[in-house]
Order: sequence, then C-alpha cells, then structure tokens
Amino acid sequence: MLNIKNLEATIDNKHILKGLNLDINPGEVHAIMGPNGSGKSTLANVLSGKTGYETKGDIKYNGESLSQFSTEERAQKGIFLAFQYPLEIPGVNTNIFLKTSLNSVRKAKGEKELDTLSFLKLIKEKASELGIDEKFLSRQLNVGFSGGEKKKNEILQMKLLQPKLSILDETDSGLDIDALRIVADGVNSYKNKDNAFLIITHYQRLLDYIKPDFIHVLSNGKIIKTGNADLGVQLEKTGYSNLA
Amino acid sequence: MKQYYDFKIEKIKDLSSDEIKLRKKNLDLFYQTGFPNKKDEDWKFSDLNSILIKNFNNITNNDCLPKEKNLKLIEEFEHNFISLYNGRLMSSDFAHEEKNKILIENFNYKKEKNLDKKNSLNFLNHALASGGFFLEISENYELKKPLVIYNNFSNSQKETIVNYKNLIIVNENSKLNLINYIDNSSKENFMANTIENIKMKKNSSLKNVLINNSGCNGYFYKYLKSDLDKNSNLENYLISSGFKFNKIDIEINLNEKHSSSSVFSALNLINNEHQEIKTRINHNATHCRSYQKIKNVLHNESKGVYQGKIFVKNIAQKTDAYQLSRALILDDAAEFDAKPELEIYADDVKCSHGSTSGSIDLDSIHYLKSRGIPEKEAFQMLINGFLGEILEQLSEGKLKNFLIEKLERQINGH
Repeated sequence: MLNIKNLEATIDNKHILKGLNLDINPGEVHAIMGPNGSGKSTLANVLSGKTGYETKGDIKYNGESLSQFSTEERAQKGIFLAFQYPLEIPGVNTNIFLKTSLNSVRKAKGEKELDTLSFLKLIKEKASELGIDEKFLSRQLNVGFSGGEKKKNEILQMKLLQPKLSILDETDSGLDIDALRIVADGVNSYKNKDNAFLIITHYQRLLDYIKPDFIHVLSNGKIIKTGNADLGVQLEKTGYSNLA
Repeated sequence: MKQYYDFKIEKIKDLSSDEIKLRKKNLDLFYQTGFPNKKDEDWKFSDLNSILIKNFNNITNNDCLPKEKNLKLIEEFEHNFISLYNGRLMSSDFAHEEKNKILIENFNYKKEKNLDKKNSLNFLNHALASGGFFLEISENYELKKPLVIYNNFSNSQKETIVNYKNLIIVNENSKLNLINYIDNSSKENFMANTIENIKMKKNSSLKNVLINNSGCNGYFYKYLKSDLDKNSNLENYLISSGFKFNKIDIEINLNEKHSSSSVFSALNLINNEHQEIKTRINHNATHCRSYQKIKNVLHNESKGVYQGKIFVKNIAQKTDAYQLSRALILDDAAEFDAKPELEIYADDVKCSHGSTSGSIDLDSIHYLKSRGIPEKEAFQMLINGFLGEILEQLSEGKLKNFLIEKLERQINGH
C-alpha cells in the first residue's frame, strides 16, 4: 500500500529525514517510535502533502507516486492524518465541516453526496460509538475543545472518512486513560484486512491497547531498528539512547 | 483639472422659489470644493474625487424616471416592504401590521431644517435631493415582521447621481427590524448619495441591516445619523459587498442614559472594490454602551477602510465603549487602513479598541485540505467563518438564515 524509499526531507534548511525506508501492506499496523526531533512529525506532514518541505526519494501509494497529488487528493484517495495538534477553526461549524469533508471524499470517489438528514444520522451513530456528545458537533470546530475532545474528534473524522491508510500522529498525547481506551477502541474497531495504520508515538502506552505488527525506531531521520510488538516494551525499559 | 460633472437644479420639478434659492446656495458650496478628496482628513483613505475622475466622464443629475420594473420580492421570509426606485418612494406594503401604527410617506423637503454640513456630498444632497421617505412607527408597537426597504436603481442610469433623504422615527417602546436591500446588477456606472436620519425614542429598539443581493457598478455614499433617547437600542449590520465604491458615514448620538448602539460589519471585497466604514459614536450621557466589530476580507486590488471614533463627553460617566477591527488580506495588492480614535473627557469610563490585519492561516487551510476539502472551498470556509461570526448574535430564524446565505453568496461569488 505504502512504499517509501530513501526519503529525505528538508525544511528551512534543516535536513530532517535522511533516507527513510518503510513498506506498509494492507491489514498491517506499524508504529514509529523515537525521541523528540527524530523526524516523526515531519514524516506525517510529508505524507499528508503539507507544503514547505523539500523532498527527495520516492513515496508510492498503491503504486502511484504520491508527490503528484495535492493534500486534498491524498485525503480523497484514502490517506488520513490524525493531527498531533488539531487546529481550532473559529466560525466553522463542526457538523458543516464534517459534512463538507465527507462529501468531498465521496464526490472524488464517484459516490453520491449525502444530504443533510442522512449525514446527521450517520454522524450521530459514529459520535456515539466514540462517546462524543452531540452538542460538540454543533460547536465551532475544535474551538474550546479539551485536548482529549480534539483527539476524539480526529478519530471521529477517521471513522467517518474510512481511509485506507491512517496516520496517527501522537494521538495518545494529552489523553487520560479513559480517553486513551476510547481512542484505541475506535482504532481497533475500524481495523480490517484492507486498511493500514501508521502510529507515531513517544510511548508504549498506546501500543498496550493497539497492538502493532511492527515497531520502527526513528532516530536522526532514519529508521534504525525494526521489530515486533516486544520492541516497544523493551524500549520502555531501556530508552532510545541505548539503540543509537 | 477635468470637469467630470455637471448638475442642474432646473431638472428638479415642483420647487418653490425659496427652495430653488437654498438649493442653488448649496450647489455653489459643493462647487467650491467638488467631490471630497484626500486633502480632507475624513477622506484621506478614500479619495473619492480621483476615484470618480477615473471612472466617469460626465456625472449628471436626472429627475426623470423610467417606468418601474416588476419588483422582485424576497421569498425566504415574510416581510413588510417599502419600494424605492432611484430613491423615489414607489410603493409600500404593511399587510402584516396594524395599519394605523405605521406612517409612510414621501420625505417632506419643505419641512427640512438644520442641514448637515459635514462635507461637500451633503451640500450636493441638499442641492439635488428628491424622493426618499419618512417612516414613523407609533408608540408601543412592535412590528410582527421585518420591514424590507427595496432600493432599486434603474439599469439605464448611466453616469447619473441619485440624491435623496430618509427620515425614520421609532417612537417610545417600539421595535423594528429593518433590512435595506439593494438589488441591482447594473454594469453602468452610477452614484447614490443618501442622507438618512434615525430618531430613537425612549425604550425603542431597531435592528438596521444593509445588504445587497448582487454586484453592480454603483458608487454609494450614505450619511447615517442616529439620535438615541433613554434606554433605546440601535444595532447596525453592514453586509454590503459587491459595489465599486461604498462609504457609510455613521454618526450615532447616545443622548440619554442607558442608550446603546452597535455597528457590526462583514465585508468581502474583490477586484478593485473600495469600501469605507466611518463611525463617530458620541457618548453624550451616562451609562451608555457602544460596540463596534468590523471585519473585512480583502482580495485582489480591493481596499477597505475603517475610521472609527469614540467620543465621550465629560458628563458621560460609566460609558462602556468597545471597537474592534479585524482584516484578512489575501493579496499583496489589497489594502486595508484602520484609524481608531478615542476622545475621552470623562474619567469613569471603560473604553477599548483593537485593530489587527493579517493573512489567512495556512495551517488551518492544510487541516481542511487534509480532510479532502479542495483548496478553494477551504478558503471559502475560513472566510465564511471569519465573517459569519458577525451574524452570530442575531436570533435564530428565517431572517438570520437569509442573511447568512447572502453573505455566503457574496463570499463564494454572486
């Protein structure tokens, strides 16, 4: 599904990714762990098509070169990034945003756009699965939401858009244990043989709930170690410094 | 200098010799300075003279009216209406109201005293004005439905100026929602120069909305003067994008205690549109409140101006005055000028002002795009959110939905 070869990324003359290789197949859950500044969020940003990065190397998504697609086309093709810091957008109603988003994706896929009634029915259902109070949906997008509410809103968007590849950028940060469980349940219930996850995290604790097939350690812009779920447990004990 | 205008009082019908004399005097006063230019402090950001020189060959006044076309009524909400055509009162309909509670008639020029002398456009108005209306709402009467004033201008009005005056009196304990609606898509250049006076009596309340349906090549100036008595409330909403030029010159006199007023504005300016909102809020009594929130989005080579002055008289203790201007500038060639002014002679007051201008937040755009929303739509959503906030405090209902929909149309292209 995703094949990254020798990816380099530079922003503001800072060389951040320095030859990263990663292959993700449908049905797999990959976790990327690593210390601060190792390039985890840069990888997420580059995959989402954020402008400002100079890149080298090759990223293929379902066989097509990703660089030719704009951010919105990537989203329409099934790449989803749950933001580390979801943006507060004053004046934009959450429901209207969600409906516009869903219909943009449906339209791009050649599916029929949902009318307001069918949309509201769908979003109610998805929101209740994540324990999101309906009144949040009529508020301005993320404005005044707590950290946990913002992250739950990201997972809600994921479940609504039904992406093929979901990238969760430190979705666990700022979550209390109950919210963490809800987010993890949200991911686990969505996981199937056709979609894949790339989970970026500092800590093992999210991986206690979402069991990864692979754990990669990112350090200084490269993946320096890959292992199975046990690697995370080991890292929790020994830290990153012993790997370098 | 190119003489690009030529005005004749003889074109106005049915004037007495005294009126002609007074009008001639005012026309002379106008000719002494011509249209306002940037040398005038009040017009330093909106040099109307040079704008008109570039766009007009010969502006004239014309009192003849072509036949009125069929009036296209708003269908989205039930309302009463007054229809003006080139400033002339054509018809009115108050089917939703008790008849004897509302007086509507032609503006009476013979009764007019105390002429405003703010600028040469006022002189021009005194010299050439005809048409306009006088509206009075009886005491203790709350209109059941909003009142729409249809301001139509004939599409054949090439290079002409329309001048008229309106007077609105809202008597004690009365309440009115007024929508000034401009529906014109003329591609011919024309001007409208209006003086409107609003008298708010004790405990009265007025929402005054200015909105247009489509873009047109109109050049508008409106001097809107309001006098507020005890405990009265006036809210102004300016949602009038789509003209060539528009300057709204607002003077609000809070003359008695506990009166309050606000000016809210949401403008989305494209191409070379130029709009100015100028306010002067005079706090002349204690315990009065004024609130101004001005929002502009500027595209292309458009220009927006906000000159907002709060004046607090020495006796006006316990004044609460606030003004905020926020602008989003989306193109390098666009310009926004803000000049907030506070002039305070009382010591126990709460006054604050702020002004910011900046570009749109690209991280927010990225966030929306990452959810599959195309870039153009993402910009529109953010602009909608930015400007739409202005309408938030209106009570829910068909009128609010109508205004939101019009604003969205202004943002997404007429």
